[in-house]
Amino acid sequence: MTQIQQINRLAGGARVDSDGVINFTYNGRPMQGVSGDTLASALLANGVDVVGRSFKYGRARGIVGHGAEEPNAIMQIGSGASSVPNLKATQVELYEGLESAPVNGWPSVDFDLMSIAGFFSRLMPPGFYYKTFMYPAKLWMTYEHFIRRAAGLGRSPVGDDPDSYDKLNQHADVLVIGAGPAGLMAAREAARAGARVMIVDEQSEFGGSLLASTQTIENRSASAWVDLMVAELKTFANLQMLPRSTAFGYYDHNFIGILERRSDHLSLSAATGSRQRLHRVRAKRVVLATGAFERPLVFAHNDIPGVMQASSVSTYVNRYGVAPGSRMVLFTCNDSAYQTALDWHGAGRTVVAIVDSRAEPNGAMLAAVEALGMEVMLGCAVIEAQGGKRVKRALVAPINAQGTEVVGSVQRIACDLIACSGGWSPAIHLSSHTGAKPQWDEAIVGFKPGTSTQQECSAGACAGTYRLSECFAEGAQAGAQAAHKSGFGSGVGLFPQPPVEEHDEYPQQALFLVPHTQRSTRAPSQFVDMQLDVTAGSIEIAVREGFESIEHIKRYTALGFGTDQGKLGNINGMAILAKALGQSMAETGTTIFRPAYTPTTFGAIAGRDIGELFDPQRHTAMHRWHLARGAEFEDVGQWKRPWYYPRSRASGGVESLREAVDRECLAVRNSVGILDASTLGKIDIQGPDTAEFITRMYTNSYLKLAPGKCRYGVMLKEDGMIFDDGVCACLGDNHYLMYTTTGGAAGVLAWLELWQQTEWPDMQVYFTSVTDHWSTATISGPNARRVLAKVCDDIDLDRQAFGFMDWRDGTVAGVAARVFRISFTGELSYEINVPAHYGRHLWEALIAAGEAFDITPYGTESMHVLRAEKGFIIVGQDTDGSMTPADMNMDWVVAKNKTFSFIGKRSLQRSDALRDQRKQFVGLKPLNPNDVLPEGAQVVFDPQQPIPMSMQGHVTSSYYSANLGHAFALAVIKGGINRMGQVVHCPLADGRILAAEIVSSVFYDPEGARQHVE
Amino acid sequence: MSNNISMETPLMHAYGNFSHHEYSAGGEIAFGELLFDLVVKEMPLCSHLNIRGDAGDDAFCAGILQVLGIALPTQPGHYHTSRTHSLYWLGPDDWLLVSRADSIDLQAQLRAALSGHLSIVDVAGGQTIINLRGSAVALNTLLKKSSLYDFGGWGTAVEGGGRCVQTTFAKASAVVANRPDGSYELVVRRTFADYIARWLLDAGSEFGCRIEGELGA
Repeated sequence: MTQIQQINRLAGGARVDSDGVINFTYNGRPMQGVSGDTLASALLANGVDVVGRSFKYGRARGIVGHGAEEPNAIMQIGSGASSVPNLKATQVELYEGLESAPVNGWPSVDFDLMSIAGFFSRLMPPGFYYKTFMYPAKLWMTYEHFIRRAAGLGRSPVGDDPDSYDKLNQHADVLVIGAGPAGLMAAREAARAGARVMIVDEQSEFGGSLLASTQTIENRSASAWVDLMVAELKTFANLQMLPRSTAFGYYDHNFIGILERRSDHLSLSAATGSRQRLHRVRAKRVVLATGAFERPLVFAHNDIPGVMQASSVSTYVNRYGVAPGSRMVLFTCNDSAYQTALDWHGAGRTVVAIVDSRAEPNGAMLAAVEALGMEVMLGCAVIEAQGGKRVKRALVAPINAQGTEVVGSVQRIACDLIACSGGWSPAIHLSSHTGAKPQWDEAIVGFKPGTSTQQECSAGACAGTYRLSECFAEGAQAGAQAAHKSGFGSGVGLFPQPPVEEHDEYPQQALFLVPHTQRSTRAPSQFVDMQLDVTAGSIEIAVREGFESIEHIKRYTALGFGTDQGKLGNINGMAILAKALGQSMAETGTTIFRPAYTPTTFGAIAGRDIGELFDPQRHTAMHRWHLARGAEFEDVGQWKRPWYYPRSRASGGVESLREAVDRECLAVRNSVGILDASTLGKIDIQGPDTAEFITRMYTNSYLKLAPGKCRYGVMLKEDGMIFDDGVCACLGDNHYLMYTTTGGAAGVLAWLELWQQTEWPDMQVYFTSVTDHWSTATISGPNARRVLAKVCDDIDLDRQAFGFMDWRDGTVAGVAARVFRISFTGELSYEINVPAHYGRHLWEALIAAGEAFDITPYGTESMHVLRAEKGFIIVGQDTDGSMTPADMNMDWVVAKNKTFSFIGKRSLQRSDALRDQRKQFVGLKPLNPNDVLPEGAQVVFDPQQPIPMSMQGHVTSSYYSANLGHAFALAVIKGGINRMGQVVHCPLADGRILAAEIVSSVFYDPEGARQHVE
Repeated sequence: MSNNISMETPLMHAYGNFSHHEYSAGGEIAFGELLFDLVVKEMPLCSHLNIRGDAGDDAFCAGILQVLGIALPTQPGHYHTSRTHSLYWLGPDDWLLVSRADSIDLQAQLRAALSGHLSIVDVAGGQTIINLRGSAVALNTLLKKSSLYDFGGWGTAVEGGGRCVQTTFAKASAVVANRPDGSYELVVRRTFADYIARWLLDAGSEFGCRIEGELGA
């Protein structure tokens, strides 16, 4: 394939390095650009006119702008897993080997079926989506098929993203957003005052509009002045400069999200470190210096490639050394765009005509172009562009002074470029994020930032100040003030104002919709929003259909909905709406800009919190032993707990869950098992009021609990519903240790602190989490005492001396330990606690000591089965936040006569808590001993009743029990405690109906003899 | 009974692990001499006591000074240190004492010297101290990646004391303190140690990060 030459490249003078050739491809075609190019400037240099097809009508579209405002040149960059969709070519820096392709354009960019006869424009009127959704519904699928294909909004990569991303939390006294003239001055003043300053800019280099300016500052070219200024800023140690960084969102409390592109400008293979970095900045003061966007002019077929923003033409010429065409018509309603004619002329190209909508402009700019002999057509407008894939001619006609009607004959002027300027719109997006309501200003013909609710101010063009000298002054003042308000400097600028060469401008004309010889709804399409194909006519139709609010119009027509957020089209759209409604711009207002200013990758938002770092995994001290034993793990909160320990089967293969659990459960009941119980929450509580305090928290009393003793308790929320349970031990005078459930630990500690700090601050009690301090090994089973005796000789283990619900300090396996004789299995059990650095030592010593008894490690599944056999509840499984102690058949744990109340007591007396037919905790014994009822299954009394059935309760826990020899379940059933012996039914989704008998929730050893074995 | 009592420090399974960014040289990925701009070192285990009490009680402050020889830090975000003890401010009535002294003796001395409403809790088994050293850029960047807290205003620690904060660290928590030599110390919770080690290796990979420790400490 032949290399396309850079036919539009100019020789020298710009900020690109014309010797630094860079190879890239566009749509598979090899091309060359130069170092310093964006993809857009390189495409223009190569004479590429069409870079996409429009969203709705499939019209050929070319590059219009040079930055974040670009609506058309939306590209897919790279290929494979690293491919990135929907980047603006104007913001993609060229690198060697870059692969690019337009995202819009089906079946191809250069030949598009959809553009034929504007077929789709009749198919998709404004409000198309709403009308289609409303009727006829069945056609939607057909439409959608076309729309999806037509829209072609890029392709998401299919593979995992190979890039890494990260986030930095930044703090600044002064954050300056935008490094154009105002931003540079603000940063310098604030840094000089001593404040911690950050200055960010979305472009690859600082300077903003100055990079393409031909003005003289301090007797230097603007470009050279920027270089000096940047060098000066680099000398401040308290100033952080972030180029290629977009402030995409301004949130409450001066929190700003900034996306830094760190390696997007490097070839994919050269990338190191993170591709993008999200800076989460908290700033005391913010200076917004985000500049302004040139406003397009809305005329017929203003979307043909070759119609560009005047300032963008200047930027391509001055900054990138690219002249995108040869014969230009400049169409303007203001003075600033005259510079483009001078720039174009300076590039050695032809200015065919300057079409100025104003009848009698006057001033230095007009004189300058006339001195060069350019033809200026005053009081005229380009009312239509003509051409297919490139502009061929402009239709120019005189218009009236109001700019509302064509008043003379139409001239056809041959050209290949129409540079347009409709004035400027301040980039008020970030200000708008803060909730500030933009204010219409007739003097600048634009919205200015509204009164802010945040600690920020706007300076320069984004505040509607366009003269360079005034931007400098305003920026310097804003920087000095921001520093002062954050505690640095006097608030007065310290640097002299840089002298600037500039002249007065003649007032602009407000021209939002260029008249045509036909009215808007009849004229060739006059595009307002290029990205979403919104035309002036469609806004007028929306008004005819009854829409009045700009917010409704936006949603009805999709004005400003694209990835460019209507940066170019919005103001014109609002003005067209205002005119159609016969009201002022101030009355019409604007839509609210919301984050993100430009699209932001999910990768950057996720940062490093992905994969195994997505959520912390908490490990006990015994974790590696469990791993070595091949345990399967269960997530319990953030903990990894052993679920079961599958062994190899004698017959080959590995045990299933059921096989392992059956073996583990039998081992506990028949000999001894060992469980890692380190994850239980543990709170050390000290202070003179401790006993009273915890007596208020639990339903039962701890006032008479003696040192060396433990008690089981249940905690309620104020509504009387169970929210946690556990054992509490009295360690000494005014000293207790509270156990919580594994998942409830943090919540219980917060609950205790809440009540102490807000309700009873006079109670003297301190809470300290010791969950991590202790490792806990629980040995359970008839041989538990014999195992413990082998590794402990300083505690009297006699069953009377060390009774059930006692605890003792002693030495276990040579380590100082605290041993609790409590049981969650119903068997004789000891919970042995040691400081966690010795956790694994303790565990291995117990395993060794238990060898003679075939001590069996068991996991959470067996623990669940064993406790369920005893009818012990698990808060959060058998309860769901709507269960009182009475519902759980646990009235015995509620002390009715405490001196002080306890939390939730009063709620237990509510009529709803006392009513009949509350769901009550019972056991279920399936009639078929092998039917394990699904947990969550609904319980009905009459399986023959019609659907919807009357649901009477549900299964909360259900297992097969090797010890019982049958399946069993725990359930909550309406009035269940008085229904013992009745048969209930669980209809399942697969059509089966399982029958079970209501029985006691205690299936095993109801008299509790086993925890007292010799 | 075995006399051979083994101990596992929270971080020891990560000792020797490292992360190193791949850098390109002439288009090749080269592993030259491994350079680590960040070194994570688990410090020898020592006594950790959580102390609660009334900083407005002169007797309480005097008792602390008498036993430890260092004053109770009452200014938020400060710690005081001596050769033996470091006392970190965690909250208005909440301190962490890290010490080379024996924990049982220390608790007894404190209990003897202090009276009134207070709490002294041994938390040594639940936490460990990690020293983070490296270039200032690497340390600052790592802290900015890991925590919302603004470490920028801390300045340098001096002998006898510095700044500390109990704050979020990645998705866990830590007490972070500065040291006179420019390094930082993190007090992290044992059960989050594996996560923290993974986090540090990953977040520090752009600088090259290695985890060290003293086995058998």
